[in-house]
Amino acid sequence: MLDRIKKSVIWKSIFRRDYKDTPRNRALAIFGNIFMHLHPVKVRESALKLRFTWGMGGISLFSFIILTVTGFLLMFYYHPSVEKAYWDIKDLEFQVPYGIFLRNLHRWAGHFMVIVVWLHMFRVFMTGSYKSPRQFNWAIGVILLVLTMLLSFTGYLLPWDQLGYWAIVVGTNMAAGTPLLGFEGPFSEYLGITPYNDVRFAILGGSTVGGNALLRSYVWHCVVLPLVAVVLMAVHFWRVRKDGGISGPHS
Amino acid sequence: MKQKSSYTSLLFAFLSLLLLGLTFWVIWKDEVQLRPWKSYQQEYKELKGKKLQEEYDRAKKEFDSNGNAQKLESLQAKLKAEEDFFNSREVQEKYKKLTGQLDVIGSSLAQNQKKLQETRGRFLEAEYLYIRDQKEHDKKVMQQLQGEIEELKKSRDALLERKKGIEENIDELTGEAEAIRAEIMSLHKGLDEKLAAIKGNKRTSPEIRQIHISDVGKADRCISCHAGIESSYKLSEKQPFTRHPASFIFLENHPVSEYGCTFCHQGQGRATTSPNKAHGWVDHWTEPMLRGSMTQSSCISCHGDIEGLRGAEFISKGSKLIKKYGCYGCHMIPGYEELREIGPVLAEAGTKVNYSWAVNWLQDPKTYYEAARMPKFFFSKGEAESITDYLFSMTGTTRHDTLYTDDDIDWDLAEKGKAIWRQSRCNICHTTNGKGGNHTEIHAPDLTKVGSKVTKEWLFNWIRDPKKYFPETKMPRYRFNDQELAALVEYVVSEFQDWDFEPEYEEAVPIKAESIEKGKALVEKYGCFGCHKLKGMEEMQDIAPQLRRAGTTIEGAVSTDKIGAELSSIGSKPIELLDFGKMKGKIPHERLSYVKQKLRAPRSYRDDLRMPDYRLNEDELGAVSSVLLGFTDVSRPVRYKVLAYREIERLEGESERHILSGDFEKLEKDIKCLNCHKIGNHGYNYAPDLAIAGSKLQEGWVRKFLKQPDIIRPMLKQMPRFNLDKQDGMIQGNLADSEIETVMSFFRSDLVSDDIPVSLPELVDNGTVDQVLEGKRLYDKKGCVACHQIGNAGGSVGPNLSFVGDRLTAGFIFKYLEDPQRYNPENVEPNLGFTERERVYLTRYLMSLKQE
Repeated sequence: MLDRIKKSVIWKSIFRRDYKDTPRNRALAIFGNIFMHLHPVKVRESALKLRFTWGMGGISLFSFIILTVTGFLLMFYYHPSVEKAYWDIKDLEFQVPYGIFLRNLHRWAGHFMVIVVWLHMFRVFMTGSYKSPRQFNWAIGVILLVLTMLLSFTGYLLPWDQLGYWAIVVGTNMAAGTPLLGFEGPFSEYLGITPYNDVRFAILGGSTVGGNALLRSYVWHCVVLPLVAVVLMAVHFWRVRKDGGISGPHS
Repeated sequence: MKQKSSYTSLLFAFLSLLLLGLTFWVIWKDEVQLRPWKSYQQEYKELKGKKLQEEYDRAKKEFDSNGNAQKLESLQAKLKAEEDFFNSREVQEKYKKLTGQLDVIGSSLAQNQKKLQETRGRFLEAEYLYIRDQKEHDKKVMQQLQGEIEELKKSRDALLERKKGIEENIDELTGEAEAIRAEIMSLHKGLDEKLAAIKGNKRTSPEIRQIHISDVGKADRCISCHAGIESSYKLSEKQPFTRHPASFIFLENHPVSEYGCTFCHQGQGRATTSPNKAHGWVDHWTEPMLRGSMTQSSCISCHGDIEGLRGAEFISKGSKLIKKYGCYGCHMIPGYEELREIGPVLAEAGTKVNYSWAVNWLQDPKTYYEAARMPKFFFSKGEAESITDYLFSMTGTTRHDTLYTDDDIDWDLAEKGKAIWRQSRCNICHTTNGKGGNHTEIHAPDLTKVGSKVTKEWLFNWIRDPKKYFPETKMPRYRFNDQELAALVEYVVSEFQDWDFEPEYEEAVPIKAESIEKGKALVEKYGCFGCHKLKGMEEMQDIAPQLRRAGTTIEGAVSTDKIGAELSSIGSKPIELLDFGKMKGKIPHERLSYVKQKLRAPRSYRDDLRMPDYRLNEDELGAVSSVLLGFTDVSRPVRYKVLAYREIERLEGESERHILSGDFEKLEKDIKCLNCHKIGNHGYNYAPDLAIAGSKLQEGWVRKFLKQPDIIRPMLKQMPRFNLDKQDGMIQGNLADSEIETVMSFFRSDLVSDDIPVSLPELVDNGTVDQVLEGKRLYDKKGCVACHQIGNAGGSVGPNLSFVGDRLTAGFIFKYLEDPQRYNPENVEPNLGFTERERVYLTRYLMSLKQE
């Protein structure tokens, strides 16, 4: 019986090899698995040492996974509208089963990821891992860092409380001071930049923080930024593999 | 290497256990600790279960003790006998046979019915054709069908007859079983219901309960813990299981399902995780729960008029205090914008009062009169003198006092004045030596020491025509002649002296110019014009700094605001914007404490503040604060609003001016009828409401009363006399005949109600009954005597009815008896639900009670 199942087309289409420890099967394991594809072919023993890598890259990825799962669940309970947003957050605390756990997990994982990503960058810098042939991956990493920051920033507004509201007011006013792009920045008057066509307007969907800003934050936070981050993370891991695995103390 | 791996597994084992422990902690936290309402509901359920069980047991005991058990037993025995008989073999056979026959008849009846319908249809068709074509053939068909219908009806009747017969036979077989079953049911009904309630209570399971008001985004979950708040019986005194206090006012008029809880009580209605969170007693929740009488603050967000509102006694008191002390003179307070300044005009103060008196008064009004309305401004003697110099400089050039000693008094004249003082009922409004002042809302000055305060000349002119000195005064004009006036003034000055008064300026001393300047500056700084009209400062309020909600001064803004902070949304002002100054850390950092402290000790936050000290007691502080905190910037949906009468009048295009009209208005302005009486929403509640006086009172009685206002009421409830005739101090008349005519015509034209019939309905078939006697019988039977007095017998809760037949109209009594609360919802008289006939009898009886 078991034999018959194992020989069936369906089984074989899912499990494309058997478990005998042969070089061929080992190679197939890598070829047949997208995640293994992204993983370096070989990992140096020295690179596994916590002392050297701090495990920060992996922990960043792990935080991102937690954030994706909890964020996805939070979306079931949240409306990005001025009337409802704040009360939805309150209800997460007061009414939704495990809602407060869910929200806090998302919040702390978010803070944690920002810290971890910074530390990751610091480690990479200190170990000189940005050097040839890894210059390109360093650049990708910098973009990922910026994405992490933006995810954090856009998520800040979503509870629609005083803290988030004023953070976004301050943040976008800084954007308004950008040279050339912001209406309060240098040269704006020569370019005809006003509060209604500058970069702040683009971020907020208006000239003040209101319903449009909330909706824009939501879309950036839940759709665009995570998608771009996933793609760039794939590239990031792929480059690690192509550049000869995690850099070790001697390479 | 091996050693290292065992070390790692230990670490992993530890971490796994930690994770497991955390998982359980999360589950415990979310299921138990963050859901305290579960245990509250469980506890309430047990309490309720116990109560229901007790009720059931009591009912059961009663049921048994009333011999119901035996009755039930005998009924059950009877039922058994009936059932046994019915279940016996031959009866069952008979029963089956009969029911079989019934079925056959039933189907025949159905066929018959169908055929009948069909035939009727065909008949109608034939009739239609005949009417249209007038053909003989159709008529024949009609007749034939008519015959068929008759046939069918006959056979149907026969079938029905048979059916009835069979049914009777069946009834014989089944006997009384059905009836007995019904009886047993009804006997058991009360107990069964109680059992069902117990079962229902057992079935409830803990859940979040909430009142959701979608259009305002409210979800009040208070009832998740306060399970018994709406309950009709008391289960526990312990929170959160208590009932809502005075729910016959609050919940009945504001059903929980429509209003929720936080409209009135504030707090964080959505919170379920801890009492502190739910009640809003946490940081950054700007609306902590209101409890007890402070809750009345919230009435203001919907109710336009709060004075006289049932259940709003505390804020009503606060509102009266705001009016009494004229807070609106300096502060912009919504709803109080149109009230006049409370203080007297100061333009001619120099001719009115003694200089030394004014200086003492300004320093501390309490030394002159304990309950003075004027607050203490903490002026030094020098400052008080400067201000007085400024005021006196308007009419003269000197500081001067006038003192009357015993030698200055004409004692005979004073004796005559005493009689006039009494008849004029001055003590209704004015207090003297702690007596009088029964009309508490008029706030007339205390006269205990007035003889040391004012000059005779001024007093004489004042009583002669108060409006000349102070156009907006509430003082009526008494129509005394000069001799009477002189006598009254002599009496007042001789009787009401301050023996401790020490005048400094019996010899007049010239006023210094720089002192006048200093005084003027002080008057401007402290905003005396908020309460007193001051020459040259009428527009002063307009240049006072505009103090906005945030408490920031907008520089250079041209403003029409008042000298004090605007209070129209003080109840929503963020706590961070309240300046606690020197009191920081000494009083709780919240809004109520702030406002109370400000009223209690106005200069305690900073020394340079201008607000004076009103010396309110703690209860008064609370009352005023509760009103102020009710001024918020929340807006409620229109369906919750109860407009103020002023707004309603504005919408209807009416105003006070239109309530009164013509000659009557002139008369009213003169003798101030509305100081005591009420017409509609204007005036005071001291004397009877006149809104329907024209329909309620008999004209003859009103005329007599206005001429001779002595009815049996306590002294200071009697209407004062405005005219006196000098013949030996005897009283001859009150209002002039022409004035009485004016009053009567206004009564007839404006103060009538279409509601009140002119005459009583005629009762038919009652020629033989003595209606008056029947009425008396009813009066005795219903116990009216408990509250009303007729002759010497009866209570004193309601009005004395001894001569009511002279005073009231029959139509009014008749209508009033139908619903005693119709004209005054606060009336305590019970509605005894009289029939029209009874009301006619009672009215006839009461109308027979006349004086002659």
